[in-house]
Amino acid sequence: MKIIKPILLLIVLAAAVMLPLLTEAYFISVAITILTFMTLALSWDMMLRTGQLSFGTAGFFGLGGYAGIIAAADLGVDPITGIIIGGLVAGVVSLVLGMAILRLRGLYFAITTMALASVFMVIIRNLHKISGGPSGKVVLSTLFNYDSNKVYWFMLGVALITIVISEVFQRTRIHFAIDSIRADETVAKSHGVNIYKYLIFVFVVTSVIQGVVGATYALQYGFVFPESSFSAHYLLLPIAMALVGGIYSTIGSVIGAIILGLSSEYLKLIMPYGHLIIYGVIIVVVVLFLPNGVYGAIKDVLGFRKRRLEER
Amino acid sequence: MEKISFLRKHRGILILVAILVVVAIWRPLAAIYGVQRGSLYALIGLPLALTLGVVGIMNLAHGDLLSLGTYIVYLFAVNTGMDPLVSIIPVFFLLFILGVVIYKLTVTRVLKAGHLNQLLLTFGISMIVLELMKVIWTTRPRSVYVDYSSSSTTIAGVRFGTYELLYVVLAFAVLIALQLFLKKTRLGQATFAVGQNPRGAKIVGINTDFVYLFVFGLSVAILGIAAGVMVPRFAIFPSVGAAFTMKSFSLVAMAGLGNLTGILISGIVLGVGEAIVQSIPGYAGWSDIVFFGVLIAVIMIRSLRRQSL
Amino acid sequence: MAQSKMFLVSENAVWRNDNMSILKVEKVTKRFGGLVAVDDVTMEIRQGEILGLIGPNGAGKTTLTNVISGLHTVSEGRIFFDGTDITFLPTHKRCHLGIARTFQIARPLKNLTVAENVMVGGLFGNGEKLKDGRKSAIKLCETIGLAKPNEVLDKITVLDIKKIEIARAMATKPKLLFLDEVMSGLNMDETREMIDTVRKIRDTGVTICIIEHVMSVIREITERVIVLDRGAIIAEGPYSEVSQQHNVITAYLGEDA
Repeated sequence: MKIIKPILLLIVLAAAVMLPLLTEAYFISVAITILTFMTLALSWDMMLRTGQLSFGTAGFFGLGGYAGIIAAADLGVDPITGIIIGGLVAGVVSLVLGMAILRLRGLYFAITTMALASVFMVIIRNLHKISGGPSGKVVLSTLFNYDSNKVYWFMLGVALITIVISEVFQRTRIHFAIDSIRADETVAKSHGVNIYKYLIFVFVVTSVIQGVVGATYALQYGFVFPESSFSAHYLLLPIAMALVGGIYSTIGSVIGAIILGLSSEYLKLIMPYGHLIIYGVIIVVVVLFLPNGVYGAIKDVLGFRKRRLEER
Repeated sequence: MEKISFLRKHRGILILVAILVVVAIWRPLAAIYGVQRGSLYALIGLPLALTLGVVGIMNLAHGDLLSLGTYIVYLFAVNTGMDPLVSIIPVFFLLFILGVVIYKLTVTRVLKAGHLNQLLLTFGISMIVLELMKVIWTTRPRSVYVDYSSSSTTIAGVRFGTYELLYVVLAFAVLIALQLFLKKTRLGQATFAVGQNPRGAKIVGINTDFVYLFVFGLSVAILGIAAGVMVPRFAIFPSVGAAFTMKSFSLVAMAGLGNLTGILISGIVLGVGEAIVQSIPGYAGWSDIVFFGVLIAVIMIRSLRRQSL
Repeated sequence: MAQSKMFLVSENAVWRNDNMSILKVEKVTKRFGGLVAVDDVTMEIRQGEILGLIGPNGAGKTTLTNVISGLHTVSEGRIFFDGTDITFLPTHKRCHLGIARTFQIARPLKNLTVAENVMVGGLFGNGEKLKDGRKSAIKLCETIGLAKPNEVLDKITVLDIKKIEIARAMATKPKLLFLDEVMSGLNMDETREMIDTVRKIRDTGVTICIIEHVMSVIREITERVIVLDRGAIIAEGPYSEVSQQHNVITAYLGEDA
């Protein structure tokens, strides 16, 4: 039994790497979108594991995108360096802001992160000279010159690194720090956990991921635009995905992103405008009825059956 | 002694008056616009404060329900030719029913869940309402024209719109009505008690569930008043209200929970602040940041004050 | 040169001899708004003793514990632990120095298993590596009598929850351990077992400050008690003496008694 898991993992990985050779361009672009949102969902969930609900995902996504495009357009760096700069900028900004806002908890932390995303957008819209203001900014050299296969592999790499980071967070001492903070901060600090340090660490790591994804997304199309770069989609979809798959786990966000990513393509076909409603409905339904997500619900049902069998 | 306690009791109002006098001399137009717009913020912020204070739920769909209200006002105007201000009455009741339905279907189930689930729930509702409006009415802005909405007057050489004074009147009216409701009616006293101590209220036999239901419905209904008064002056589009969610929360954070008068004061202070920034040539675009700046500053100060090691 | 060095050493020794106390609380006051929860308290806890901290409900026992462990900052006064001034040290650093505690209302980490609860103490309070932490946690569970270390916390007895509290605190390898009402809610046999556990802990060299309402327990295991009433110390000494004092009896039973 023990050997099945790694073999399965290898097969999935191989299939993911080979995908561009097996399918057509349309499906590759869908896959890139899924990977993008999967990474955002994971990063959102990683912060949630500390017990802090962040609405700042779209903010750091947009910030990274802008930093990447500005670096590529004004500093003339190549797109990959632009992406690294996007991650660094998101990291530095989150470090400075995190030192202040991670003193906040619960409702106040959540609302402040929501406000931050708007603050980023207002600032960027008003820094005309650097950001291009309300009309956005364009760069000519895009990531791999629109070679979607290469973009796919790159994005797959980013997603895999994020998955590994998420698993590291689940398997090392970080896991115990994070879980104890979520369960009871007072207990955590009374037993030697430096809460503040861990919160900042997780906040910065997840923001860097969001910045990198934002820069990758912006540089593959070669433009940024305030309203779309900071769009609530980059918050709404990841949350829905993580909730559907099940929060507090790596596999949850991965499964959620695949389920919702694929179904949203179908939804787009049957209802071109309103498909985002479905995400809202999903969030509401999961919060009300499936607190462990779809994956968790399946596991619960299976576990229940297994227990029933054992009892017999 | 009495004098000091008077000063302390009305400190907020005194500071407000002082600020207003200074601004009125320095930039009279900013003072007038600021008071007008600030009153609108307060009018929208009051119901949010009510749900947050009594039900204990931060309703992230607040602004989107406001947008929905403006569309309902618009529908009344287009289909029946009803004046937006008159349509406040039917819209008030329609939104009350909507609020009750939302409460019964969703909110009541997460009352005991953590704040995390509550926030996620109202975030989901906000997205549903927003996207639904986009599907039904598209993002194309609409407007309702009434001839009195652009009236203006000149006092002491300063020309300003008079219609917006209605915001001020309505904000005060709603504030006073809410205060009277909380003090003079049985249901209001029960509401006040629940806001102070829900468990205690339940023990003395108050039907807390009904109070929550009523307060949630009432909060959404008050948005109908704001929607009715906004329609003549605002373009109507799905995300017109979204910004008001955060602005309303800023007011609550500034005033503190349970301080309804403080909402009006904070609203006017922030409205004037915004108007001043807007009046500086070349910096109009930065005015949006006033609220967020104040919000973040206020939250930080409040949290640091009760910070333990 | 050699002489002066010797002098230093001997002075140090004198200082150690003189200072048998592991914790010194100097004129500590804690106010919450207008309410004075801890009122000008000066006390010492001596190395290796079992001290009882008693007093009627609302006397400020838990607040004093919170002030010492760092959950509250003092309004006035100083706190010294093991020779260092910890008055303004954050909670987690006080834990690293060797102050551990349990909570009056037990606070198990519900998303972790029994052993993992204990591990948190070892990993962060004692700086253990993950593997060692797991081993030592399981060992601690055994020592304290937690039979199922890999159990989740859904269905677990009151006694086991109290044991988790103690094991988790012990995992930080403390020098000074505060036990906040660990006996309440336990039956006779369980109380017996708990008293044994507390004694065993003390025998490993840990100083213990126990807060308790069950007076029979206090009488049995403490060498010295401090009585708090309305935030201030009203009596200090062996339980047998203190329990006879008039002001202590009034504090517990009211003026009429």
